[in-house]
Amino acid sequence: MTANKPKATEEQANQLATHGLDLRYGDRLIVGGLDLELPGGAVTAVVGPNACGKSTLLRGLTRLLAPAAGTVTLDGSDIHRMSAKSLALRMGLLPQQPVTPDAITVEALVRLGRYPHQKLLSPWSEKDQAAVEEALERTGTAALRHQPVDQLSGGQRQRAWIALALAQDTDLLLLDEPTTFLDLRHQLDVLDLVAELHSEAGRTVVMVLHDLGQAARYADHLVVLKDGQLAAAGAPADVLDAELVKSVFDVDCRVIPDPETGTPLVVPKGRAVRRTAVSV
Amino acid sequence: MSDVLRTEKARVAAPHAAGPTHAGRRTLLLTCAALVVLLALVTCSVAIGEVPLAPDAALKGLLGLGDAADVLIVQQFRAPRMVAAVIAGAGLAVAGALLQRMFRNPLASPDVMGVTGGASFGAVAMLAAGASQALIPLAALGGGLLAAVLLGVFGWRSGVSATRLVLVGLAVQAGLTAAVNFMVVRFPTELAGSALQWTTGSVYGRTWTEVWAAGAAVVVALAAAFLLHRKLAVLDLGDDSAGALGVNTDAARLQVLVTAVALASLAAALTGPVAFVALAVPHMVRFLAGPPTAGTLALTGLAGAVLLLASDLVAQYLLPVSGLPVGVVTATLGAPWLLVLMIRQSSSVNRSVR
Repeated sequence: MTANKPKATEEQANQLATHGLDLRYGDRLIVGGLDLELPGGAVTAVVGPNACGKSTLLRGLTRLLAPAAGTVTLDGSDIHRMSAKSLALRMGLLPQQPVTPDAITVEALVRLGRYPHQKLLSPWSEKDQAAVEEALERTGTAALRHQPVDQLSGGQRQRAWIALALAQDTDLLLLDEPTTFLDLRHQLDVLDLVAELHSEAGRTVVMVLHDLGQAARYADHLVVLKDGQLAAAGAPADVLDAELVKSVFDVDCRVIPDPETGTPLVVPKGRAVRRTAVSV
Repeated sequence: MSDVLRTEKARVAAPHAAGPTHAGRRTLLLTCAALVVLLALVTCSVAIGEVPLAPDAALKGLLGLGDAADVLIVQQFRAPRMVAAVIAGAGLAVAGALLQRMFRNPLASPDVMGVTGGASFGAVAMLAAGASQALIPLAALGGGLLAAVLLGVFGWRSGVSATRLVLVGLAVQAGLTAAVNFMVVRFPTELAGSALQWTTGSVYGRTWTEVWAAGAAVVVALAAAFLLHRKLAVLDLGDDSAGALGVNTDAARLQVLVTAVALASLAAALTGPVAFVALAVPHMVRFLAGPPTAGTLALTGLAGAVLLLASDLVAQYLLPVSGLPVGVVTATLGAPWLLVLMIRQSSSVNRSVR
């Protein structure tokens, strides 16, 4: 695992796709009949209102949730026909609320990312250690390696967890709301790290985000979900407009070019209540 | 990487010297200490008795050397009991460590969850039916698995909720203990000699026939426990992370559960439902050696052997009442320990879920 190494080859375009995908929890249909293509080698942001099925979709894409109907394919092959371990060599996941084991140190946590690479009796290898070192280095957690994860700040903890996913050394990285619970600076740190992973290490990233402006800034491809259905998909500049935000989020807004980056920026219109409050 | 990250990195670079090597060294040190203590206890248990032997003569006797009478006393009367205590102690402690870790519940252990009760029930049923002693380990294993199945039927709804499993386990254990007591009363002749073993837990009068089969099986199950260790560490990360790392979480849990049930049942085949070893030892090791690793799992096994053998020596020689089963000693030690555990639990945040 070295920087600037192009990850994607011709056989492995790292393209995830869903075909008529139904995802259910019990009787409840969360995602229905979804046909989706997530471009390989790009950063895709999945956005949508609360409970629209974003996290469920991510679980479906990683085999954690078996589809009720339809398939999920990675470069054309059904991920539910792949072994759990061989999929884990291609795709890493940062869950929305990862469980941190008691008193585990940062390095011990990151080492667990090597699990899919290890055989039953094989000892810890130099390659394993090198992957862990690079993951720690890249996420800026090398100096924290001996500290217990549960005593770190939210931003540091999130980076330790991203380091685990990096040590897994996969072409695809799926992140479920990686910026939730972080303050603005740490949100940007995490998103910059994601951008760097994409640009320098050539990883395909799929992440669920809440902030439309951040999604537009950091993603090449935007997937907008509403009620488990695809509302729009494409380059942020092409799909994100006031009409879409109104129909998906039920919010009146203006979409203007971000003064910093030129990407679309959603500015909600002032609401009556707020205006009254200000004028009084 | 942003500048912010770099400055933060620099800021935290200096302190916090305690590293994984530190924890590893402490585990190694504790393991060596436990080995020394175990060796001393083994020597005591083969040397002390109605015919006291010198420690060196007793150890020689254990290896089949020296005076023929000493060899007979040690190998026929003292060694089986000692080996039973060592193997059962290790098996129970490791079983407890596996279950507590997997269910993330400090109360999860084979004696709380019905497994040792099930094993005793299996053994008692076999004895009441008049079957041979050699079948006891199998019967105990069957009983332990029966308890696990009961646990699964009533506790396993759409995945595993730890609290539910422990509560159901308590009910299963109570029911099976009652069944054992019923059998002891109903079949007094068949169970005359071993009633105390199956109700309270005792290593009195073990023979090599009983020890070999169960002991060898415990050793195999211990090896399986160590092979499962990596998987167990990944399971600690929760279902989503473990699944994304390529662990089939349900299958992995089942493997750990079956291993723990086998360990505890086979240990119970040797000693009966000895209380609190499986519950308390993993906590003590955790307290002394820190977060769980493969090394601390080995230490847990050793500490369990030390605790059970020491308790048996206390029951045999240090208490004024003779003929007391070892289960009474471990329960007496364990009850206050459980209270301490509850108090610590309620006062501090024990687990961080984010």
